[in-house]
Amino acid sequence: MSTISWDSTLASGTRRQFLGLAPALLLARKTDRPIGGAFVNDSFANGHRLRDRAAFRASSRQIRVPIVIVGGGIAGLSAAWRLDKRGIRDFVLLEMEKQAGGNARWGENDVSKFPWAAHYLPVPAKGESLARELMEELGVFRDGKWDERALCFDPQERLFLHGRWQEGIEPEIGSTPKDREQYKRFNDTIAELRATGQFTIPMERGARSSPLDRGSMGGWLADHRFDSTPLRWYVNYACRDDYGASAEDTSAWAGIHYFAARDPEEKGPLTWPEGNGWIAQRLLEKLNRYVRTGAGVYRIARDRSKLRVFTEEIEYIADWVIFAAPTFLASYIIEGMPPAAGFQYSPWLTANLTLDRIPAQKGAEAAWDNVIYDSPALGYVNATHMSLAAHVERTVWTFYWSLAEYTPQQARTLLLAKDWNYWKEAILNDLSRAHPEIRQCVRHIDIMRWGHAMVRPAPGFMFSAEREKWLKPQGHIYFANSDLSGFSIFEEAQYRGAKCGDIAFR
Amino acid sequence: MSLALFLSVFLIAACGLIYELIAGTLASYLLGDSVFQFSTIIGCYLFAMGIGSYLSKFLHRGLVARFVYIELMVGLVGGFSSSLLFLAFAYTEAFRLVLYVVVILVGTLVGLEIPLLMRILKERFEFRDLVSHVLTFDYLGALGASLLFPILLVPKLGLVRSALLFGIFNAGVALWSTFLFRGQLGGGYGLRAACFAVLAMLGAGTVFADRISSAADNSLYADEVIFSRNTRYQRIVLTKWKDDLRLFLNSHLQFSSRDEYRYHEALVHPGLAALPGARRVLVAGGGDGLAVREILKYPSIESVTLVDLDPEMTQLFTRHPVLSAMNQHAFSEPRVHVINADAFRWLDGNPDRFDFIVVDFPDPTSYSLGKLFTTTFYRLAAKHLNAGGLMVVQSTSPLFARQSYWCIVETVKQAGLRTYPYHLYVPSFGEWGFVIGSLVPYEAPRQLPSGLRFLAARNIPELFSFPNDMQPVPVEVNRLNDQILVRYYEREWKDIAR
Ligand SMILES: Cc1cc2nc3c(=O)[nH]c(=O)nc-3n(C[C@H](O)[C@H](O)[C@H](O)COP(=O)(O)OP(=O)(O)OC[C@H]3O[C@@H](n4cnc5c(N)ncnc54)[C@H](O)[C@@H]3O)c2cc1C
Repeated sequence: MSTISWDSTLASGTRRQFLGLAPALLLARKTDRPIGGAFVNDSFANGHRLRDRAAFRASSRQIRVPIVIVGGGIAGLSAAWRLDKRGIRDFVLLEMEKQAGGNARWGENDVSKFPWAAHYLPVPAKGESLARELMEELGVFRDGKWDERALCFDPQERLFLHGRWQEGIEPEIGSTPKDREQYKRFNDTIAELRATGQFTIPMERGARSSPLDRGSMGGWLADHRFDSTPLRWYVNYACRDDYGASAEDTSAWAGIHYFAARDPEEKGPLTWPEGNGWIAQRLLEKLNRYVRTGAGVYRIARDRSKLRVFTEEIEYIADWVIFAAPTFLASYIIEGMPPAAGFQYSPWLTANLTLDRIPAQKGAEAAWDNVIYDSPALGYVNATHMSLAAHVERTVWTFYWSLAEYTPQQARTLLLAKDWNYWKEAILNDLSRAHPEIRQCVRHIDIMRWGHAMVRPAPGFMFSAEREKWLKPQGHIYFANSDLSGFSIFEEAQYRGAKCGDIAFR
Repeated sequence: MSLALFLSVFLIAACGLIYELIAGTLASYLLGDSVFQFSTIIGCYLFAMGIGSYLSKFLHRGLVARFVYIELMVGLVGGFSSSLLFLAFAYTEAFRLVLYVVVILVGTLVGLEIPLLMRILKERFEFRDLVSHVLTFDYLGALGASLLFPILLVPKLGLVRSALLFGIFNAGVALWSTFLFRGQLGGGYGLRAACFAVLAMLGAGTVFADRISSAADNSLYADEVIFSRNTRYQRIVLTKWKDDLRLFLNSHLQFSSRDEYRYHEALVHPGLAALPGARRVLVAGGGDGLAVREILKYPSIESVTLVDLDPEMTQLFTRHPVLSAMNQHAFSEPRVHVINADAFRWLDGNPDRFDFIVVDFPDPTSYSLGKLFTTTFYRLAAKHLNAGGLMVVQSTSPLFARQSYWCIVETVKQAGLRTYPYHLYVPSFGEWGFVIGSLVPYEAPRQLPSGLRFLAARNIPELFSFPNDMQPVPVEVNRLNDQILVRYYEREWKDIAR
């Protein structure tokens, strides 16, 4: 696949050479406007302290509480949601960050609310009872109908290729009859695989050990003689977008799951200006009294039948722990836990760009999700797309980049090594492929670096003994993070969390 | 001597920038989308300057004479650039081609100027001073031009004359150079003659300047343009031919003064006359105030709220003598409240209820306008109706865009309203359609306000009958997440255009 190194992307933008022409320089300077911004909410420091087993302040107080949930992402919040529904009030949820939500965190400025990572929920199908139950509770699903204001407005997606925008993300402009034949054959093959019933959401319902998991999605395409360049781009894009990994680095079973697990009854997805932050906020409104933010757990120790859960403020003495933080952290936190071998995580970079005006469009009208063909990044989501207004003058774009062209380790090093200015330039250069005047429109760019953003379904991982092992509780410690499903989506986080909430303390 | 030299640097820098600004302004003015126009024009222009400076190294002998010729060419092409562009827009299909050819031509020539001049001057000054001075005056010229352009040139001279004026400056610099560099030139009478010829052409151009610009704007529209303005939201153009005044928004005809009474009487009275006790009315869109004029014919009406996005539009129809006369000064009536806001958002955030709601938006030519024709919008509007109230919706042509029309009707129905579709003939539009949406059964009124020019109570039932070629067709409903209407509309009007 054509993954363009972003060093060359960057170089093309920094061509401020002396041309010998004063007006040229004058104009070049006139058109550049200052762009503010910074890295925000970096959790590297916290993570590295855990990794390096740095000294933590000893807790000054002890509190007894039957159940402690560690981690306030969708998984942890869903565990709390179930406990609360069961009438259990005696528990706390400990979240390391100042803001709960994890990968469903959100932000807000004078222009709009916006997501920091997770930004949509596909319309839950009939079998997805938990997701439907929650949506019903939140008023999004009522009397068998989905809330029109939460279903992504038309046009949902567009793709920039060959110099213009097309509607939809499957490459159409310039596609040959052979490409279209392969799209069709691909869809037919996926439909057959869907009919086997093994690709479900939550995955646990249908998943059966499969040889597909041993190979990569890229290999699977090759084996099935899918060699159309746009089709391979499309599949690779899906893997990068959903798993943060290229098709070559993604298990074929997981790659197929993305396409085969959904057959929605309504044109979606569900989305809000702040993405899944909307769901996180509604859950937090219900569950606020249990949630302690800025409460990172640095140690969990067994003490006879009790579990001692240490934060820097308070030590909790509990009977049960639901561990909803990423599973790889368990070995750093829980005494006596071995490392979560086989769990790999993709690092990500996301950015929120505030635009004072909307750049010109060539071709299809601005969509919710806007993808640039052949970009190493994943495009941007428009936060004001879900506004009712017919005329929008300012907006926020959330820019996504899974850095899938590197190994996770390389990408992490790079994320830490380069400064904000470097990433800002890289982002603007990438966007200027489709929006040459982007620099005149953007006022502010905040960037979030995610060291271990989401679990990576590498070949062999889905049905590995390692993953299976962590599904079982360790005494009274239950594991709940979405990474236990092998890939991270809202429904898996909710399912893992809710399941623990349903069984704990019984 | 040296001051004179650097003054010419100042002038040619100013000229260069002015041509670029003119091209950018003109393109934004004629095509809209100023960000795109300016960035592509600046980009091409700078790139062309790069070509120019690269080419300069291939010029060897007779540098002064070449410099003079280049100045003359810049003067000619730059000076006539805006006339040429106006005419190209009006009379050819290839406006963009002409635009970029002109920009690249001027850019290349301007790119040649400074390198050549530096080489001509390199004997006379230390290199260090030369670079410093030439660049200083170059920057100053650009500053002067960029300040002069918006403050003085555009408002006082207009684009056509400004270009010509700066063309004259270029030719002037050329002429002046023949004196300044007498020593390096030898003879030079032919050169001077060329200078005078160019000056004469540009001078003649200024005499005809007026004709060029009005000829250009007029030929776009069949009639004479009497007013045009780009607001934040749209381009408003008014044309007049004899007693026919026409309003265009983004080149879509909104009304013709000859037959708009048909449209507006049919829009308002079948609904409003059926509500004898109506007191409060909402008009969404309709910033021309013509629907409000019809509404005010009912003495029972206590308040009319008009929500239109564009303040310049409503101001124009409040203040302009001819236009405010058309709506009988509706916006100056104390009963009328004009609110400049996005109608969908306004309805969403406002609890007021009305007896009658007029929904008069431009046709669904884009997804952003299409939102105003969705189940969500009509459901929201219905929440603002008093018990027994009703709304009427502008629904495009049931003849030219039959599927679009019935799609709107079906969408209103899906929003939980009873629908009563009707249509009429408006000569300047053709067959046009509306639909009444109502919570309770609707009955056509038996009485209308006096003084209507088109509608009579006895004719109202006829409006609700559709001939064969406008009968309902199978359609899907227009929803926010699936705007089928925008796709119907695009396809149907494209077929007509062919
Ligand atoms: C860029 C990006 C985009 C995504 N987009 C989508 C999308 O559009 N739709 C979708 O369905 N999914 C998306 N996802 C997947 C997303 O990961 C899941 O939807 C879901 O939010 C995961 O929730 P979780 O609770 O399992 O994990 P997380 O959200 O990672 O939650 C773990 C929580 O534990 C906390 N924590 C960590 N260590 C400690 C400690 N020591 N003590 C206390 N707390 C701790 C963390 O701060 C965090 O809040 C996206 C992911 C990324 C990275």
